[in-house]
Amino acid sequence: MATATTATPELKLERVNTPPAQTWNYLRANDITLTVPSESRKGDVYFALPRLFEGIECGMGPDVTAWIESQAADAQYVEVRAGERRIEPIIATMDTGVMVRTGAEATIVVCADAQATSRTSAALVRVIAEKGARVRVLEFVATGDDQQHLESVGITADEGARVEVRQYFLGAHTTAAGLSCALNGADARFDLTCRYLGTDDQRLDINHVVRMRGRNGRSDLRESGVLDGRARKTLRATIDLVHGSSGSEGAELENVLVLSDDVVNKTMPVILCDEDDVAGNHGATIGSVGPEQIQYLADRGLSQEEAEALYVRALFDEALICAPTAAVRAAVLARAQTVLGTEVAGDLVDALQLDTEDRA
Amino acid sequence: MSDQLLRVSGLCAGTEDKPILHDVSLSVGAGQTHVLMGPNGAGKSTLGHVIMGDPAYQVTSGTIEFDGADVTDDSADKRSLAGIFLSYQAPVEVPGVPLYSYLRTITQKRPELKMTARKFRDRVGQIADQLDMGSSFLTRELNVGFSGGEKKKIEMLQLLLLRPKLAILDETDSGLDVDALSVVSRGIEAYRQACDGALLVITHNTRILERLSVDRTHVMVQGKLVAEGPASLIDDIDAHGFEQFEHAKGGDAQ
Ligand SMILES: Nc1ncnc2c1ncn2[C@@H]1O[C@H](COP(=O)(O)OP(=O)(O)OP(=O)(O)O)[C@@H](O)[C@H]1O
Ligand SMILES: [Mg+2]
Repeated sequence: MATATTATPELKLERVNTPPAQTWNYLRANDITLTVPSESRKGDVYFALPRLFEGIECGMGPDVTAWIESQAADAQYVEVRAGERRIEPIIATMDTGVMVRTGAEATIVVCADAQATSRTSAALVRVIAEKGARVRVLEFVATGDDQQHLESVGITADEGARVEVRQYFLGAHTTAAGLSCALNGADARFDLTCRYLGTDDQRLDINHVVRMRGRNGRSDLRESGVLDGRARKTLRATIDLVHGSSGSEGAELENVLVLSDDVVNKTMPVILCDEDDVAGNHGATIGSVGPEQIQYLADRGLSQEEAEALYVRALFDEALICAPTAAVRAAVLARAQTVLGTEVAGDLVDALQLDTEDRA
Repeated sequence: MSDQLLRVSGLCAGTEDKPILHDVSLSVGAGQTHVLMGPNGAGKSTLGHVIMGDPAYQVTSGTIEFDGADVTDDSADKRSLAGIFLSYQAPVEVPGVPLYSYLRTITQKRPELKMTARKFRDRVGQIADQLDMGSSFLTRELNVGFSGGEKKKIEMLQLLLLRPKLAILDETDSGLDVDALSVVSRGIEAYRQACDGALLVITHNTRILERLSVDRTHVMVQGKLVAEGPASLIDDIDAHGFEQFEHAKGGDAQ
């Protein structure tokens, strides 16, 4: 498939990646509309995920789920047996379902790298974490400057399950990412760290949804990023404290470092609450790199510009540190080289002697 | 006196609505060790930050000279590159920045310290061993989630890495357990040996001074330097407290 293929039919995904409650319409921050390729798969035998996965709410919504399912080759189904501690990470394909059975542990990696062939890439990941399971989902969007990437994740957590998600959105032309996690069982826990970079004319559209249904749940969402140039970012973060979630606590905090006046930075934090005995709080700090941090860095010899550059570099370094496989590190490194230049990009890899052996 | 490394003359400074330091004069010669003591809220940390160039404080009169140049109007990053280092009483947490990335960046800025990534890693590893720090800290966020004592060690790590001409240690010893205290004391000694650096030690605790040979002691009360004397002044304070100086406020005790 060549980049300039004109024959590829297209589809408009209208108003996707929506939050549960669409308030503040005037901000025009409720959704995104994307044009994606839509090739018919007529005649192909297609392996779909078990039925159980159909009911999982995914962050970007049902239209995106349907589109990805229609475009993906076979779905990948992985089951981690009860009590198994799976060390080897599960590498997500375009359409992946992971069943983490009772007490099991697993790491799921979603990595989008620069592609020569297609302008649009996508990943759909659905995860069921059974009782007491521990799941880590690591997402890396390290696509090229002219790419558009869609990533939709849906997770359900049963009693006592712990879900940790780390997202690194390292700058594509368009990144649209939605994640929904439902804490269905009591005492379940969800921790999300999302780090993003937007420069030039890049567009980031992020939708985070936590449904707290079980009692005594905990969820903690931390988003932070750097925006420069004419980048446009919209973050919707919703913590839904559903009736019955008594004793639950949800918190969300976003830190944004805005480096240019032309940046468009929108954040819609929402707490929905249908339960008395719960606590939810949101805090959005714009320009988190407060005077204290800048002063500390200045005291050690960094000018304001150098301090800002450090924050950008740090994003990539952190992604490299967190990357669990050589292939992911290679993808992050390639992106870092484009953004930071070869010397700075390769520095941490050299120092820590990280393996970034490229895929052939 | 051009042989002075640091020369603070008639310094008055404070925040926008509150004067804190009044007519402070103090000089530290190259390689010397000075101690600054005084009751809580006297203005010791403020003096450290003003010497470092923190724009939160305004200098209303007086000058700060360092290494032969007037730095009163220089930005903090310039002063840092010139060789002033301030170890924070409460080191600032910098979320989103791994310690490695930070240390590497502040080191690479100094031409005399430039080295390959591998060599740098080894160098940091040596210093970390010297400070009894373990090895996983490099990939953690700068000062985030570290204990009070660990943060102080991270400050010491930077001191040993950067080898400044003057180190202002603002209560680097407070909150340290016995073992950490001796590790840090050894670190200070190592710094002195490595580059014959000068010290201005702000402390409430004489333990940290046991291993140091102190050249001069200064006492600050309510934003004024009220006494200056030899090392023996420390024992005097230890025995009698600051009350004696509070009476003599503004006067010269020695
Ligand atoms: N940024 C600031 N804004 C307002 N007041 C300040 C500021 N910095 C210092 N002060 C005030 O100036 C005075 C001196 O504070 P400073 O921290 O310098 O004291 P210190 O001698 O270091 O005390 P300690 O021994 O408790 O550390 C205090 O009253 C303090 O509240
Ligand atoms: Mg103080």
